[in-house]
Amino acid sequence: MDLAFSPEERAFRDEVRTFIARELPAEIRRKVQAGDPLDKDDHYRWHHILYTRGWAAPNWPKEYGGPGWTAVQKHIFDEEIAYGWALRMLPFGLQMVAPVIMEFGNDAQRARYLPTILSGDEFWCQGYSEPGAGSDLASLQTRAERNGDTYLINGTKTWITAAQWADWIFVLARTDPQAKKQEGISFILVDMRSPGVTVRPIQTIDGGREINEVHLENVEVPVANRVGDEGAGWTYAKFLLEHERTGTAGIAGCRQMLALLRDVVRTAAAGDRRLDERMALVEIELEALAFTELRTLAAESAGKRPGPESSILKIRGTEIQQALTELALDALGPYADDHAAKKYFNFRKTSIYAGSNEIQKNIIAKRILKL
Amino acid sequence: MDFNLTPEQLLIKDSVARFAAGEHADSDPWPTFTELGWLAIGAPDELGGFGGALETLLLMEQFGRGRVVSPYVGGVVFAGTILRAAGRLDLLESLVDGSRRFAVAYEEPHARYDPALIATTATPSGDGFVIDGTKVRVLDAGTADTLIVSARGPQGLLLLTVAATSDGITRTPFASEDGHDVANVRFSGVRAGSDAVLSGPDSALAVLERGLDHAIGALCAEGLGLMSAMLEMTVAYAKQRQQFGVPIGSFQALQHRMAEMFIELELARSMAYLAATTLDGGGDDETRQRGISAAKVQIARSGRFVGQQAIQIHGGIGMSEEYKVGHYFKRMTMIERLLGDVDFHLARFASTPVPAEREAVVV
Repeated sequence: MDLAFSPEERAFRDEVRTFIARELPAEIRRKVQAGDPLDKDDHYRWHHILYTRGWAAPNWPKEYGGPGWTAVQKHIFDEEIAYGWALRMLPFGLQMVAPVIMEFGNDAQRARYLPTILSGDEFWCQGYSEPGAGSDLASLQTRAERNGDTYLINGTKTWITAAQWADWIFVLARTDPQAKKQEGISFILVDMRSPGVTVRPIQTIDGGREINEVHLENVEVPVANRVGDEGAGWTYAKFLLEHERTGTAGIAGCRQMLALLRDVVRTAAAGDRRLDERMALVEIELEALAFTELRTLAAESAGKRPGPESSILKIRGTEIQQALTELALDALGPYADDHAAKKYFNFRKTSIYAGSNEIQKNIIAKRILKL
Repeated sequence: MDFNLTPEQLLIKDSVARFAAGEHADSDPWPTFTELGWLAIGAPDELGGFGGALETLLLMEQFGRGRVVSPYVGGVVFAGTILRAAGRLDLLESLVDGSRRFAVAYEEPHARYDPALIATTATPSGDGFVIDGTKVRVLDAGTADTLIVSARGPQGLLLLTVAATSDGITRTPFASEDGHDVANVRFSGVRAGSDAVLSGPDSALAVLERGLDHAIGALCAEGLGLMSAMLEMTVAYAKQRQQFGVPIGSFQALQHRMAEMFIELELARSMAYLAATTLDGGGDDETRQRGISAAKVQIARSGRFVGQQAIQIHGGIGMSEEYKVGHYFKRMTMIERLLGDVDFHLARFASTPVPAEREAVVV
């Protein structure tokens, strides 16, 4: 075991660092540092820059256009994204639906969808939650009725990030209403431009408009858009969630937040020993989590699928993100600026999304501790 | 980076695990340790030494899992690192071959873990020194025949060796909660020859701190082993203990608690390994101290949570002296405070500058 970077790894780090410093548009860097909202074009621009370099999909295998990096290289890339104040990529296409299509889709689907996910030319969003199905996702009610070669989809999906930008949505829908809860569900790719799809923004407590409700009313979708077997969607959904959780630790984002917080403390509360120590505590937790993520990545690259251990990353990563927003708020005192308060309000979402932290604890208890 | 253990490391792990799982309570383990080569971990090649902090971690983790009570942390890791850092391979050789046993007397009653706050004096006398002062909580002092003592000389801090049975030394062992060998040591007009000086004013504090950091790394590894054993015991108990007609492990309140224990354990594991590789990495003193303090804070906080919840979930039986989980809890509680508690290490971490390459610069 040797946890120091090898000379090759250090050279790779320098290469990534130089690339980001040179290629990241200054306006995007400014927005990321200021915590300003990013628009679709910002995402597209940066995605395209990375795509041109061959770095858009660090987690993809080489055969689909990934860079074929080791776990350590992925880790380095992620850290450099943070240090260089680059934008983090939207996960819905690259990290969520793509692995499902690779693993369970057919060749025609791989050829149709993966190239535009990789290039960023098509944006995706995630159609999982419903007004009546949150943590109990398997109780979802959206119906996909089969009629020859098409499904007729009816239902409402909610809390959908980036739906306003998306060209496609991957939907969990019930294809067999008679089957037991988890068994009648299928995984279907729906073109957002289809007749019958309506997007309604939901304003969040921080004033943001990043999430939406998506109504599907008699939307006709070719049966060829179903990934894998009919009724097996729950298995694919769980596979996707495990991939999602590895990404939600948000280590890079935490490093950025920590650097900003240090800056705030230096100007607003210099010499406050209590704040310094609270900050130190979060930093130590972040170090511990960053290395835990690296261990998970290393196990993954040794051939293991991301397993229930990824729940640790989701739980502790979001706790740390929230702690950092709290500290920024506290450091600024009673008149905490607009950004700090908004970010604090916004980040309450993190322990709720991608399977609430309570659900993650259920997963650890059942699947790791076998309770 | 490479996450795999070498075949030699796997062998150490297995042989220590076998020892730790067996009967080890009553006999002196030193002959076994000598025979199996465990006293040579971290020593240079010419003394037949091998490995470093990672091998120490593998050993101490298994000692933790098996609740092995031994003078390893104070007598081998702490003292051995100091002897090596001071360049005294002659003394280190006597440690490695088992012929001498050492303990490090550094902490003073008023110092609150700070190794630089020293009132003990080494006054020149003839061609040697006379040592006066009081040291507290000296690890493994009872079994040692040689004490390494920190004292203030006319030019600054010194590290000296003295025979533990010298005139003027009073060792007062106390009943430690975890059954480990700990004593307060009083030095009253103790004579030391000129050859007793291990490190002079230019290096003594740095040598002592290096020894401390290696000893802390070993304690972190032991804590990791204790925690993993406590979680296993607790989960096994929760599956078997029935109340209201069902195993208590079926209750969500307890499931979530055990999930939290698991998270704490895995974070502690990460930090114990990071600590070991920091010690082996040969970085500068500040990087090492920052890494070790971070690890100690994590292990102490995780250990407190895991220990308290292990007792809680066991219920009444967890309070019983006759049941093993309480003994793990007590040792974990001592490790939290040994060689610096959370407050001490958090302050040390916070006061050490962030390495430049680990910081995103705000422009």
